Amino acid sequence: MGSSEGLRRTLRSSVPLLCDRVTVAAAAVGRADRDGSMTSVSPRLLLVEDDDHIRTPLRWALEDEGYTVAEAASGEDACRQVTADAPDLMLVDLMLGAMDGFAVIREVRREHDLPIVVVSARADTHDIVAALEAGADDYVTKPFQVKEVTARLRALRRRTGNAGGSERPVELVLDSSSSSPLVLRPERGTVHRGEEQLPLTLTEFRLLCELAVSAGRVLSRSVLLERVWEHGFFGDERLVDVHIRRLRTKVERDPSAPSLVVTVRGLGYRLDPQ
Amino acid sequence: MRLTLGPRGLRARIVLAFAVGALLVSAVLVTTTFVLARSYLLDQRETAVTRQALADATVLASRLSTAGSEVGDEIVELVPSGGADVVVSSDGSWYSSRLDVGAQDVPRDLQELVGSGTAGTARIATPTGPHLVVGVPVPAADVQFYEIAPLVELQAALRTLTAVLGAGALTATVAGALFGGWASRRVVQPLEQVAGAATRIAGGELEIRLPPTEDPDLLAIVASFNSMVDALASRIERDARFVGDVSHELRSPLTSLVTSVEVLGARREELSDRGRQALTLVEGELGRFRRMLDDLLELAQVDGVPLSASAEPVRVATLVREVLLRRGLPPDLLLAAPDVDTAVRGDKTRLERAVTNLLDNADRHAGGVTGIQVERQEDAVLVHVDDAGPGVPRAERERVFERFVRGPGAARRSLPGAGLGLAIVEETAIGHGGAAWVADGPAGGARFTLSLPRAAP
Repeated sequence: MGSSEGLRRTLRSSVPLLCDRVTVAAAAVGRADRDGSMTSVSPRLLLVEDDDHIRTPLRWALEDEGYTVAEAASGEDACRQVTADAPDLMLVDLMLGAMDGFAVIREVRREHDLPIVVVSARADTHDIVAALEAGADDYVTKPFQVKEVTARLRALRRRTGNAGGSERPVELVLDSSSSSPLVLRPERGTVHRGEEQLPLTLTEFRLLCELAVSAGRVLSRSVLLERVWEHGFFGDERLVDVHIRRLRTKVERDPSAPSLVVTVRGLGYRLDPQ
Repeated sequence: MRLTLGPRGLRARIVLAFAVGALLVSAVLVTTTFVLARSYLLDQRETAVTRQALADATVLASRLSTAGSEVGDEIVELVPSGGADVVVSSDGSWYSSRLDVGAQDVPRDLQELVGSGTAGTARIATPTGPHLVVGVPVPAADVQFYEIAPLVELQAALRTLTAVLGAGALTATVAGALFGGWASRRVVQPLEQVAGAATRIAGGELEIRLPPTEDPDLLAIVASFNSMVDALASRIERDARFVGDVSHELRSPLTSLVTSVEVLGARREELSDRGRQALTLVEGELGRFRRMLDDLLELAQVDGVPLSASAEPVRVATLVREVLLRRGLPPDLLLAAPDVDTAVRGDKTRLERAVTNLLDNADRHAGGVTGIQVERQEDAVLVHVDDAGPGVPRAERERVFERFVRGPGAARRSLPGAGLGLAIVEETAIGHGGAAWVADGPAGGARFTLSLPRAAP
């Protein structure tokens, strides 16, 4: 009881932080580090696409939008560059040569939490779900306009704890029922189970934050789409479902019988602090 | 030649054929049995009566040979078995064992025959039933002896036989009909299986096949049906794959084009006047190309993918509000909508597309939407989209929903569109179990209506 009181109190103080979304002009997107400091360096994006007729103009267009773009024409090259240069963002085409987009995403996700947007030729296939399961954060379908891509990327790069104002560290204890409690620190962007830091991607982290802020209340899929991905009413709700699934494998004690992030049939999802 | 009379159904015809067949066979059997039995029984009776008559005649002759005996007295002494009566003619005078029997009961033919010295028989009908008359000449006493035996018992026996045989024939006919029913079920059952399978296949269950059979008569139909479905399924799959392949092949170059033109667009200022004009043109056409490709794929998808996979409850009123919001139209264009219970089951994205297409259509042909109404009916939710355009002539109202049909007033240049928008609306409506139509708007112009079945609450 005492811990849930404490949770409510800290939640209230964190709400303005979490809900504050500053619309940043595309060209002025600053590079933000994990600890919340802002720099004026333009975000570094790795563009993985084997068709140079698409890759080259796309690079130009992304550079016009203020990104520093590195190119990779193959999956192997992409993995090398991620390890060597640690880009801020990745744009991955699913149809690559020997090593396809799914393999690239899975490989990158072993070590990195950067936002990954997938480019697919078709929106109706299982490819999308497979890519999301592999660890992608969002997708666009060909032919897209660069503005659509940058809007997605911008949404995915938004931070929860870097919006100035209160610097007071906020801790949310989500699960205090075991000896190693699950603690969310929105401002630092970390989730710990006991001493161990959980490897959440940025998007999973933001999803958890949104659910934690509204702990005990049901959030519909479209609300989550709006808040985490900034998609509207007609967004693809598979995004939410797949990410919830991925989140559960990391934060639930028993992912096959979730008790922290529960599904409310026909309505959406709810986080129940334990 | 086709039978024009009688029942039409195959099963009814088979039942009828079996019943008629059984009836004919049993009728022949019954008739034959009856005729044979009757003649046998009659023969038997005739033989018996004749033997009796001969015996009686012999007795009478021996008595009459005794001097002083009178015919009339001796007749009374004779007591033939089986209730037979005796009539004797002696020198033109007739004597009988009973008063109500006499010469009038002996047919004239028989009298002449016996008179000429030959024995004979005849059958007569009397008010008390049929009788057999046996005539025997007795030359020793110079009399003609007649014995009249009743056939009533025989007739009763024959009547019983008739009843039994008739009942047998009736039973055989009913049994024939029942057997026919059973046989016809056996015959029709595979047909019903084929029909059921065909219906399910038409409904989209392409994996349905007829179960293998050992019946050599059905082997051919089962095999050819299954191979037909195999061919159909692979063809549909090939078509779907073709659409997918084409989409992919077209989308890659289109992506390259769209992106390159965006890069050019960002450098609009560096271009000459003519270059800028050309860029504007390219941008416009690219947009149109993109919409057409989207429309074509949408249509292929609506055609190919069953809805059940993506069905979820969708509130129509909310959907319309969101579409208006998305297009930057004032929300008060939605003139009327019930607050509750506008839920339908369906695919939100496709329904959004359908509503959007109706708005696009109003923009292209009628200068924009004047009002949208969501109406809830007993078992459907209707979306009315009104415009203030020229309306759609009655003769065109079916045709506007066909593919690649553009409105008559649509100059190609100023009104982009592949003519697929309304086709998508209709296909979406049908895919959801609803319908789409156009009528006169309440304030002139046209009213396009999308009707969707209401979700169970």
